[in-house]
Amino acid sequence: MSTAILNAKGIHKAYKMGRGEVSVLRGASLRVEEGEFVVIMGSSGSGKSTLLHMLGALDKPDRGQVEFRGQSVFDQSKPIRNHYRNQDVGFVFQFYHLLPELNVLENIAIPRLVYHSFFGWRAAKRKSFAEAREMLERVGLAEREKHRPSELSGGEMQRVAIARALLNRPALLLADEPTGNLDAKIGTEVLAMLQEFNDAGQTIVMVTHDGCVAEKAHRTVRLTDGVIQADSGTRSGSKSKSGSEAGDHRRGDSGDKPKTEVV
Amino acid sequence: MYKWFLAWRYLHTKMIAFFGIASVMLCVAMVLVVLSVMGGFLDTVRNRSRGLHSEIVMNSHSMQGFPYYDEFSQYLAKKLPDVIRATTPVLSTYGLYRDPAYQQTGPTQVLGIQLDDYVKVNSFGDGLHYQKYFPGTTHLGPQQMPVAGMAMDHTLTLPPDLEEANMRWRKSETDQSLIDRFESAPFEITSPEFPVFAVKGERQFATRVGLPGYVGPERNGIIMGCDIINIRRPDGNFDRTIARGANIVLTLMPLGPTGNPTGEPAAKLHLRYADDSRTGIYDIDRMMVYVDFDLLQSVLGMDSRQLVDGNFTKPRANQLLIDLDDGVDMDVAKDQIALAWIDFQENEIPLDLDSSEQMSLYKVQVLTWEDMQRDFIQAVEKEKVLVTILFSLISLVAVVLVGCIFYMIVEKKTKDIGILKAVGASGRGIAGLFIAYAAAVGVFGSILGLAVGCAFVWNINDIQDWLAWLNPNLRVWSPDIYSFDKIPETVKQADAAWVGVIAIISSMIGSLIPAYAAAKVWPVKALRYE
Ligand SMILES: Nc1ncnc2c1ncn2[C@@H]1O[C@H](COP(=O)(O)OP(=O)(O)O)[C@@H](O)[C@H]1O
Ligand SMILES: [Mg+2]
Repeated sequence: MSTAILNAKGIHKAYKMGRGEVSVLRGASLRVEEGEFVVIMGSSGSGKSTLLHMLGALDKPDRGQVEFRGQSVFDQSKPIRNHYRNQDVGFVFQFYHLLPELNVLENIAIPRLVYHSFFGWRAAKRKSFAEAREMLERVGLAEREKHRPSELSGGEMQRVAIARALLNRPALLLADEPTGNLDAKIGTEVLAMLQEFNDAGQTIVMVTHDGCVAEKAHRTVRLTDGVIQADSGTRSGSKSKSGSEAGDHRRGDSGDKPKTEVV
Repeated sequence: MYKWFLAWRYLHTKMIAFFGIASVMLCVAMVLVVLSVMGGFLDTVRNRSRGLHSEIVMNSHSMQGFPYYDEFSQYLAKKLPDVIRATTPVLSTYGLYRDPAYQQTGPTQVLGIQLDDYVKVNSFGDGLHYQKYFPGTTHLGPQQMPVAGMAMDHTLTLPPDLEEANMRWRKSETDQSLIDRFESAPFEITSPEFPVFAVKGERQFATRVGLPGYVGPERNGIIMGCDIINIRRPDGNFDRTIARGANIVLTLMPLGPTGNPTGEPAAKLHLRYADDSRTGIYDIDRMMVYVDFDLLQSVLGMDSRQLVDGNFTKPRANQLLIDLDDGVDMDVAKDQIALAWIDFQENEIPLDLDSSEQMSLYKVQVLTWEDMQRDFIQAVEKEKVLVTILFSLISLVAVVLVGCIFYMIVEKKTKDIGILKAVGASGRGIAGLFIAYAAAVGVFGSILGLAVGCAFVWNINDIQDWLAWLNPNLRVWSPDIYSFDKIPETVKQADAAWVGVIAIISSMIGSLIPAYAAAKVWPVKALRYE
């Protein structure tokens, strides 16, 4: 079996709530092949964001592994993990998360600014901004490069966020309900854009709780009770079906339901 | 790179940065003002104490004094020619003064000095009042009362030698405002009788209608501490109520040849007020009077006297002031002189001294001016320690304040930290961002604070005048308490540099804790801040 681009195995995560603990993930596993567009579905509060954060190394699982091209992400040193966040994955948040003090172009260029040292930046500045501008054109906002995030609509901010996530040409794009805050029309546009990127070869893992959105994907998996339940219908063009296994059932805790709430 | 980029961006788009800058600015200004004023105060106190004596003082513990002071100073001149510049003996005793015109009596400490030599070993000469405006006219020898002559049109003229001395001062004086004040002060007749007191400039002379001149019998001069006979005005100048040359009577207790008070009737000296002295130390200026050394020596019975056995006693002095050459280390010289004093006693003094003389030699101590003024300086130094402690507290408050502000800034920026970490920023880089930001706030705050602090210190007396004009109770700096005319108003460059650097470092330390905290969290933790 060829190595998948991403392979998450038996992810556990529990949050402390007052005295008790709420276990959100209880051994979720997910395998993603190169070029796939995988959608993770699940009701609100089922732990989708939590899982996606682990995949992007934005948070640490209590137990379990995330392997990127066969290399465990959490066993690495901090600098390598930083490099992973910077170069290998791009993350799109539900709430955009742009830096309010920077204009659109600078926001897109931030991964480059972070990458380069003070002196390296001087050499890379021109090229970085040129590429940022190119990304901005691809998301259709070329006219807005000098605007502040506060001057943009939600859909525009999300496009900027996508441009930022893709600036360093990451192998993997992780998107957490990128359309969740947008109205249907704008959401469809953003989705279409993601699909375009995928058609160009971009691997995408997207989280949503909207069934319509999920239809665009090659493969949809469900997160319920803290595990990836089943591999649902696959569209043509999917490169692999072996993406997910049902959560490895162990321990007697499979009975209690994870706390779910409407977020 | 993003550190510098974002630090700069935060600095001019975030309102909170201005609060940070303002708080650093105020702390820096405050510390600089207090440091400059207190430092100026301490420096002045030290300088004034230093000008009181000479660098080295040989001091007898007893009012009886010690003999062979003259022989020893010749011995020193031969033995340590590269160390000693000048020496002069001083007598010290206590007495009562009486000002017959105002019928005022009070206690004094009396110093017997050889005026010409005394002004060479310390800064006594700088504080003499008439000596300043009429240079060369103050002496302690026999003198009459100078009287200004008044023409029928009330124009006032002083005796020719005083006028001539005054011209000498005017020619050498570089401060035109002093000359203007001298010219402009009103001429007043305070009594229709003769002689009336007249003011010329701020100086007082008796006046008679007719030609100027000298009146009265010749009497030895006395220099009075300025706070004994004058009234200090709130602006630090004095109202002189006694005319130059007026009578002062000094009553003293003679000591016999062995230093034992004789119990004879007290000696009364009729003297003329020749000048007043201002050392700038209030306790001295309200107690001390100065008369001629030889005169006091004979009145106190400390000159050479024939004993019943036909031998003569040696004249005695209470102190020998020793001025050192430039560049001579004071403490080294002190030890050299102390050794020389022992050598001198062993080799140069006859072996058959009587017991009282022997004793009096033992009681001599060789001291530096710092030793002499130890109590006074120690009081001031204690004050300095107190102020330093207060400062450290204030600085601590400043650091905590800056720390709080940075904590708030980092709190507000937690989401940004999450975003930056999500795109791969390292913890170190994030900490660096906030430290760079803090350093920038510190630099701007310090520069502004130093500017404000300097402006305040340089104009502190005007500010005080303005406050006093609003409400007299706000006059905090009273010249009669501090003996200074003005609040010190200079800023030392080194002080300013230190305060600035410490403020910048404090800002960075203040940001260190929140920056470190920010650096440690997982990105999601920061992002969940909604
Ligand atoms: N930092 C946290 N502390 C406590 N509980 C958390 C934390 N983050 C998430 N949760 C809880 O974990 C559950 C899953 O959250 P999330 O992954 O955001 O769900 P989803 O994205 O599927 O809506 C929710 O019940 C949420 O309240
Ligand atoms: Mg979510």
